[in-house]
Amino acid sequence: MNRALFGRTLAANRVRMLACALGLLVWGAILPVMYATFGKDVAALMGTNPLFEQFSRFGGGDLFSLHGAIALGFIHPFTLLLMGIMAIGFPAIAIAGERQRGTLEVILARPISRRAMYATVYVAGLLFLGVLLAILLGANVVSATVMGVGDELALDRVPVLWLSGWLLFVAFLSVGFAASVSFDRMPPALGVPLVFLLVNYLADAIGSLWPDASWLRDWSMFHLVKAQKVLDGGVAFSDVAVLAAIGAAAVVYALVVFPKRDLAAPS
Amino acid sequence: MTPDAPTPMAEPDGAIVTVGLGKSYGGRGPRARTPVRALHDLSITVRRGEIFGFLGPNGAGKSTMIRILLGFLHASAGSARVLGLDVVTDGLAIRAQVGYLPGGIAFYDSMTGEAVLDYLARLHGAGAPLRDELVERLELSRADLRRLVRDYSRGMRQKVGIVQAMQHDPQLLVLDEPTEGLDPLMQRAFYELLEERRRAGRTIFFSSHILSEVERVCDRVAIIRHGELVALSDIGELLARRRRHVEARLAGPAPVLDGVAGVSRVVVADGVLRCDLEGDVGPFLAAIGGASITDLTIEPARLEEAFLEYYDGDVGQGRP
Repeated sequence: MNRALFGRTLAANRVRMLACALGLLVWGAILPVMYATFGKDVAALMGTNPLFEQFSRFGGGDLFSLHGAIALGFIHPFTLLLMGIMAIGFPAIAIAGERQRGTLEVILARPISRRAMYATVYVAGLLFLGVLLAILLGANVVSATVMGVGDELALDRVPVLWLSGWLLFVAFLSVGFAASVSFDRMPPALGVPLVFLLVNYLADAIGSLWPDASWLRDWSMFHLVKAQKVLDGGVAFSDVAVLAAIGAAAVVYALVVFPKRDLAAPS
Repeated sequence: MTPDAPTPMAEPDGAIVTVGLGKSYGGRGPRARTPVRALHDLSITVRRGEIFGFLGPNGAGKSTMIRILLGFLHASAGSARVLGLDVVTDGLAIRAQVGYLPGGIAFYDSMTGEAVLDYLARLHGAGAPLRDELVERLELSRADLRRLVRDYSRGMRQKVGIVQAMQHDPQLLVLDEPTEGLDPLMQRAFYELLEERRRAGRTIFFSSHILSEVERVCDRVAIIRHGELVALSDIGELLARRRRHVEARLAGPAPVLDGVAGVSRVVVADGVLRCDLEGDVGPFLAAIGGASITDLTIEPARLEEAFLEYYDGDVGQGRP
């Protein structure tokens, strides 16, 4: 860890973080409002058409319960977009972006090892994701309370959901950093983890909407965070362990590869 | 190395010592191509307290060498020590004592010059004892430093680059094309700064393809060609070995210069004798001693000629 680099990383990402935090704050507040306002009407519609019921189960969430609504918001593409900015975009900028811009060599000409640099920006990434998820879930809790449905929420399960979701996005962050240390330019450092994230997401989305393709969900990292089940009291420690293992493997890869790479002059 | 190049003995106490240093690209892995040899068997010693010029055209391997010294690249062969430390195992300790100015330095456009210098000083952790003096000598005003880097001209960026490399008073300065973008007045101020650093006992490793500045500020020079060392010498020695151009206006018969040591390409026309002269001038002066000469010009050798001799036919072709 390098304090100067850590401080600079936080400062350089403050606008990006603020934008994502505001988006998640609003989004986190909306879903309990939707549940409190339309939840019973939506539930009544379900019996009228089997298609409604199938589509209502998107990503393991629904609007029939507060837990279902929070789970739906947790896995929604909008959440993915905002979290992805820091889980995928930030790692690409933090190393490959510095490399492409030519500033990486200005940093590494100082007495800072590549591993220390990696560790510093990685810890900043962990912090960003933790704060953003806390804002999303915090907005869920406050909004549910304001809408008078707070008593339906298992508050003691919220930290568990935060931890599960954080591990999911940390796994993507780790893959993002693994790509970032492997490429000299931003496009592949951004593109490879983005494709990885989208494939995972599509597998989960398709599997949740199409019963015949439900096996696809077993291959998606998103399926390892079952937000509604977590809030309802269940958590599969094996899922948590798999997420942690994927993140750890990507970290080990980066710690081995980054110091060994040749950093030729930026073109 | 060509026959003209010396085989330097490694001086263990040198500021930079490389032995058989080599670097090739692209010869390994599943998509391996024919390896490109960027450096080959490079052995040089930069003495402590000298200004050492590292000369070669673009693509000759100058930046590759510098990047190996700083740990950005890993050598394919040989070894290198900087300030007595191994570049592979002691990279952090080396970089703590080095100031580096990369060619075409890049900064964060959204930061002010002052913030960049503060940030880089904090990253180094050694303070910035020379900052104020450098800023003053390079005519960077407070107002300049408070502007965003994105608004800087190329020359301003280069000045900030020089300050960041020197502000912590490093033992060794590694400068890659340091005067790019500087106007002649600033170049002069920069040369004076280098001279002062040398007098303070610091070592300066100076890569350039601007021959006049190397000739002006460096004590010794290495010339690199296609990744190989072709000459390593004191500037004075290098120039003394080079051809000088002689022109003598005759008032009588031309002196006989056939067989005179160091004299070549003798041409006499319209009462003017022209020839090239290499090495000791004594035999030439003795040979023309009895001749009736009204004017004599011996044009001093320039480093450029020495350089072009090594690069005859290659300069500008950009061969790696």
